[in-house]
Amino acid sequence: MSSGPLLELASVTKRFGSIVVADSLSLILRGGDAVGIVGPNGAGKTSLFALISGDLSPNSGEVRFEGRPVTRLDPAARCRLGIARTYQVPRSFEHMTVFENVLVAAHRGAGLRGGEATDLAASVLEETHLHEEANWPASRLSLLQRKRLELARALGTGPRLLLLDEVAAGLTEPEVAGLVQVVEGIRARGIGVIWVEHVVRALVGLVDRLICLAGGRFIGDGEPLAVLATPAVKEVFLGTSYGEGNSS
Amino acid sequence: MTDTAAVGGRQRVTRSRRSAAWGALVGVVVVAILFSLPYLVYANVTGVLVNLFILVSLATMWNLLAGYAGLISVGQQAYIGVGAYAVFVLAGDGISPFLAIPLAALISALVGLPASFLLLRLRREYFAIATWVVAEAFQLVVVRSNSLGAGAGAPLPGMVGLDPALRQAFTYWAALAVAVAALLGTYLLLRSRLGLDLTAVRDNEVGARSVGVRVVRAKRIVYLVAAAGAGAAGAVLVISQLFVQPTAVFTVQWSAYMIFVALIGGLGSIEGPIVGTVIFFLLQQTLADRGAWYLIVLGAVAVLMAMWVPRGLWGLISDRFGIRLFPVGYWLHGMNPPATGPGPKTESPQA
Ligand SMILES: Nc1ncnc2c1ncn2[C@@H]1O[C@H](COP(=O)(O)OP(=O)(O)OP(=O)(O)O)[C@@H](O)[C@H]1O
Ligand SMILES: [Mg+2]
Repeated sequence: MSSGPLLELASVTKRFGSIVVADSLSLILRGGDAVGIVGPNGAGKTSLFALISGDLSPNSGEVRFEGRPVTRLDPAARCRLGIARTYQVPRSFEHMTVFENVLVAAHRGAGLRGGEATDLAASVLEETHLHEEANWPASRLSLLQRKRLELARALGTGPRLLLLDEVAAGLTEPEVAGLVQVVEGIRARGIGVIWVEHVVRALVGLVDRLICLAGGRFIGDGEPLAVLATPAVKEVFLGTSYGEGNSS
Repeated sequence: MTDTAAVGGRQRVTRSRRSAAWGALVGVVVVAILFSLPYLVYANVTGVLVNLFILVSLATMWNLLAGYAGLISVGQQAYIGVGAYAVFVLAGDGISPFLAIPLAALISALVGLPASFLLLRLRREYFAIATWVVAEAFQLVVVRSNSLGAGAGAPLPGMVGLDPALRQAFTYWAALAVAVAALLGTYLLLRSRLGLDLTAVRDNEVGARSVGVRVVRAKRIVYLVAAAGAGAAGAVLVISQLFVQPTAVFTVQWSAYMIFVALIGGLGSIEGPIVGTVIFFLLQQTLADRGAWYLIVLGAVAVLMAMWVPRGLWGLISDRFGIRLFPVGYWLHGMNPPATGPGPKTESPQA
């Protein structure tokens, strides 16, 4: 598209009663950027994704995608524009096959029909290593496979911005490594990626920018190792294994 | 019917694991036999079948609403009434009641459009209650209109002078045509991209909208199709009874029948409402002269089915034998079937 930013948040604020989950957040992301987001439980990471994807509307502020305000658009409309997200708790279509799960995304998110849609769905399943399970009902999948299906379905919408919410949580080391490889491939195609993850090791190898979110505010933003070394970030993660980059 | 969506260099995708040709053949033969019945049997038999076809049409539409779009309506009698009165008015203008049936369906969908904007804002139980309120409101309007025969009703014009045997045969064919259209229309709708949308919405609404599905639009289309179907059924009803009366068409008892039939047959499958209607008629024929017992048995069957066979009789049959007459899923060839074991079947259980 244009050389302007892919995604822009301008002073986005979201409150639930007295809890402020997004405190006047501003952010600029360019196409092809890969950004990692870390933060303690309840920091507002999932809420930030919901504000970008349209699952939540902000109390104030604006969200722009490719220069266009999308704050008033619903999640389906934002998806059709090119914003795709995965959910921390998978939201598979249990009674549909894996292939059909992705096909809906190709139909509606990417706006394809017939052979073009089935081709995209089939190639996405191959990319996410789910093609062997294509004809399985989603209800048969394991946790790892469900996380992959979340990713496959998001990719099936033909996104230009991909929001990954803890897709590596609960996976083993080798599984995480496999996932990182898949995301690397996505990124190499020029798709912007924002990845929320507690497994910092997964992020550090992949992203070129790390944001630390706590209490609805950005308390660190920049080169990953530098961000992890700042006192404010260290303070938030004091007593946890974050600073060391351990995988849990 | 096994249309190949992609060949040559592409992975082959078909619309079911096995060919759907047998299902289609069975369907054609059954419809052909039913079509020729007026030449073969007495009118009292076709008379019973008219009521059966009306109920199949209604239950199929209710199943589409509840089993696919998750819309629990207890007010579809609103459109039975609109369809019936549309035929009445059109017949008064000199249009043959039989030709008025498709128009009645169209008018029902048009009336349903503004109602859908009101109703689809509401959630579950509020939606259900509101559909009933809409039906009651329609009835009030009719009761207050003297030109529509008000509360007492009026005979259907345009039917006199027709030979009774011919009239009964035409009525039978009209009822059959509406039932076939309801079933075929539902099948085609579920095979379309919209069908996949609906299944996704039913499984996970948040997930569906996150991949670009216009959830409300999908539900609205189903609501309007169901209104048209109920309207057509109402049109056949008034033609078979030769008389319109508000209490006969707008009664909530229609909803009770639709729900009963859809539940015992099985929600979320095209075959379910057919099976349910046949069971319902068998019960009705054997218990009709037992008065209150009829209702008690009906209620008991419904409760037991809901408790022990939540997927209905057709669900039981198709799980056991893996039969699917109307396949609407997709199959990616060259890939593994699901691992064996208990639980889901070897074919997309989408239908
Ligand atoms: N719909 C809601 N209504 C009320 N409070 C909410 C809602 N959604 C989230 N919250 C609250 O907002 C805060 C931030 O939640 P959020 O899910 O964004 O955190 P998170 O950073 O994703 O946490 P985790 O690491 O556990 O996933 C939490 O305190 C949560 O309880
Ligand atoms: Mg979260």
